Amino acid sequence: MNRVTGSIDAERSRAELAELLKRVGARDSAALRDVYDRTSAKLYGICLRVLGSESEAQDVLQEVYVSIWNKAAQFDTSKASAITWLAVIARNKAIDAARARRLPAEGVEAASEVPDDSPSALDVLEVAEDNARLADCLSELEERARAMIRRAFFEGMTYPELAAQEGVPLPTMKSWIRRGLLRLRGCMER
Amino acid sequence: MTDDSDSNDRNALAGEFALGLLTGNALREAEALAANDPAFAREVARWRGRSAPLLDEVEPVDPPESAWDGIKAKINHAPTSNVIQLRRRVGFWRGATAGMTALAATLALVLVMRPQPTVSVAPAPAVASAAPMVAMLGDQEGMKVVASWDPGSRQLVLAVPADIPADPSHSHELWVIPAGGKPQSLGTMPSGRQMHMRLADALATLLQQGATIAISVEPMGGSPTGAPTGPVVASGALSRA
Repeated sequence: MNRVTGSIDAERSRAELAELLKRVGARDSAALRDVYDRTSAKLYGICLRVLGSESEAQDVLQEVYVSIWNKAAQFDTSKASAITWLAVIARNKAIDAARARRLPAEGVEAASEVPDDSPSALDVLEVAEDNARLADCLSELEERARAMIRRAFFEGMTYPELAAQEGVPLPTMKSWIRRGLLRLRGCMER
Repeated sequence: MTDDSDSNDRNALAGEFALGLLTGNALREAEALAANDPAFAREVARWRGRSAPLLDEVEPVDPPESAWDGIKAKINHAPTSNVIQLRRRVGFWRGATAGMTALAATLALVLVMRPQPTVSVAPAPAVASAAPMVAMLGDQEGMKVVASWDPGSRQLVLAVPADIPADPSHSHELWVIPAGGKPQSLGTMPSGRQMHMRLADALATLLQQGATIAISVEPMGGSPTGAPTGPVVASGALSRA
């Protein structure tokens, strides 16, 4: 994501990527290749971080770009930057895959709940301050809430999984995270 | 005070949903809210945006050259528009139960399934629910078929994208597998993109929440034994639309 939003280059590449996505939405496969060249290292890094395995990350990376090919028309430049939108799609796909691997019994059910089944699942709403505020606001949380939120985010851990791994009752885990999320939101909207 | 705590619950639920913490009923509740409540959907989108800067810390890694080849192959022959249409239809079914009948009426192809033998089964313990249900039948590669079940009219509507290859020497057979029960045949599937059928009462009672709908590959004309004999190419659980 654009840490250097002040720089002209970053602004330009941000606008170019949004424009490319618009062309992908119109089924321009050359534009998809261009989007891939600009973003695949970032998105592959995300898949690798979540999944840990190169072969799985490569499979999911392919799914991510097929999904982008199919859904690019839904990208709304007024709601999020293109790279944020793409990164969130990669994170969500990677987490679905990680979860299907961990919970084979739930695989079929989970597949029916893949977030991109509905258009709203691709909605990402970003405000300019998010980048600057998230780190500060996370650092204000209790250590365990912060750690659990990060595990949910990067590993796709569910409440029951987190509770079991931490050896605490489910309601305790829910209360830690819920309180953390509400504090985080309060801090970021301040 | 109550309003505050309600709105806090909602906001926390949106965050939990965006992060992927939820399971079971809470997950289904959040999915329904996200589909039907624009304010909730917006809050979920906000949570995706709020948490996205965490991805800044991930180092880029160049994927191998071969990754692009796979993408190119998939987008060149993928039946993508069908899948999108299917998904839109699923959204439609979820959103408008009354639309079921209209949808069935507009389906271009009305294909008759192989006539069903009378199947004798024990009465299902629960009364058939009147709420429409949907099953998304898939495998590791994705969704293959969307099955939509309207208990009121006993209509089962199937929408099939193009990627179930036709095979002249085999039939695809449709099954319902009640939770904890044995597969019962719903008939072989004719080739075609959409089909609908009205189920006999004995079969209709099996299509309950949690039952699995599956498609297996069988000898031409269907399984000779009354039970699936070939590989299951797609399956999915029925859940409330």
